[in-house]
Amino acid sequence: MGDDQYISKKDVLEAMGISYGQLYRWKRKGLIPETWFIRRSTFTGQETFFPREKIVARIQRIKDMKDEHALDDLAEVITERVNVKLQVAFDKLKDLGWFDEQLMETCCERAVAEHTLSIRDAFCMASLKRMSRAARPEEVDLLSRTLNEALSKKRLDLTALEGKHLFLMRKQLSGVGISAEISVVAIGTEDLVLDPETVRVDSMDLAAMLQQVKLDLARQGVEAPETEPTAGAEGKKEDA
Amino acid sequence: MTDEKGSVSLSGAGAVAGGSYSKVSISGAGRVNGDLVAEELTMSGAGKVNGRCEVVRLRVSGTGRFDGTVTADEMKVSGVARVEGDANAKELKCSGTFRASGNISSEYIKVSGSIAVGGDVEAEIFRASGGFDVGGLLSADRIEVHPGGRCRAREIGGARIDIRHHGPERSSLLDNILRALRTTLGGEVDAGTIEGDEIYLESTRADIVRGKEIHIGPGCKIGLVEYTESLSVDEEAEVTEQRKV
Repeated sequence: MGDDQYISKKDVLEAMGISYGQLYRWKRKGLIPETWFIRRSTFTGQETFFPREKIVARIQRIKDMKDEHALDDLAEVITERVNVKLQVAFDKLKDLGWFDEQLMETCCERAVAEHTLSIRDAFCMASLKRMSRAARPEEVDLLSRTLNEALSKKRLDLTALEGKHLFLMRKQLSGVGISAEISVVAIGTEDLVLDPETVRVDSMDLAAMLQQVKLDLARQGVEAPETEPTAGAEGKKEDA
Repeated sequence: MTDEKGSVSLSGAGAVAGGSYSKVSISGAGRVNGDLVAEELTMSGAGKVNGRCEVVRLRVSGTGRFDGTVTADEMKVSGVARVEGDANAKELKCSGTFRASGNISSEYIKVSGSIAVGGDVEAEIFRASGGFDVGGLLSADRIEVHPGGRCRAREIGGARIDIRHHGPERSSLLDNILRALRTTLGGEVDAGTIEGDEIYLESTRADIVRGKEIHIGPGCKIGLVEYTESLSVDEEAEVTEQRKV
């Protein structure tokens, strides 16, 4: 653990000019993830440390959202509890970098039908958008199916993405006179070991992506879902 | 949407399947097999829910056991309740015994009996006049404790933390006897770390206390106090090391 990477709780409070009350309140609201609180023994006893860059950026962001309502919105979007149900009208998302109607059609048909987007749809879309930088169209489809299947079969849980990465790989097969290339998609940890003939084309951190999506949604001023008189609201009740 | 939900009352020994109900009342020995969603769940006998439990009002005056997460708007325990998992309640009042193996999150928690939690306790307001045992972090905006038993937490954190014996205003004989009893019965708070902005402590043992304005009252035994603005230490308190940071 290089000490530059971590900052003690005391130093965070001092550097950011916040109080214990605020820090604990934000933690309770889920604005600061549990996993960022790292307890370590020091010569003065137990101390809590944070990943320096992440915590500083997050607190700055929270401080920028001065009024409490914005903060509650942010909390609502960031906390895992509620956001599964979150539905967002499309027109609010047009400006986001990862919003792509074409991709949406491939990855979330339900969303298109209802004109609303759940956090899961948004996450899938953003992930595919990011991967499509390197992936070919048929690979995007493969990625989409992998993500959706993993999510619907609960092999992948939006609340437990920490450390999980999405990989796109290609492998050359060559025999006598012919050669072919196959695409492989996997979800695993960063240290995934592959055979030497398989090339990692692209990979991304799923937890970071989800965080980004949530923050983007928060910034777009995604209000409480019930204020949106869309077809989505009714659809939600039915499956409740 | 408009289908009427049934109510069920178990007064002998019986079991009912999980599902969605209006009211569920268990006064004998009863079991709910599966996840339960209900407006109201009352357990005055020996009740058990084998699954998750999501109710508006939950009352346990007998014994209640819950195999999964419990979510309620209002939760009152005057008997014995045990949750294998997390408990989320807007309001949690416990005058009996409440145990949860996971975390408790709530807006308002009042403990006059005792609670034991394996993980963290999070609330806006936490008031205890009984005892508690928190394996992780006890965090609330306001923490008010009148220790009435063994009070223990690995960490306590919040904006205002106030731990004191009931005020000395009414110093009757009975009060004195009660106080003497309480101290011998371990009416004390024991914590690893206590962090807050305004901290007032009595009868507290802690390794580290950190905060802005700190008062260490009688009966305290603190290893290290770190404060940023003010510190006062009662002559009947013991502080090994203090540091202004």
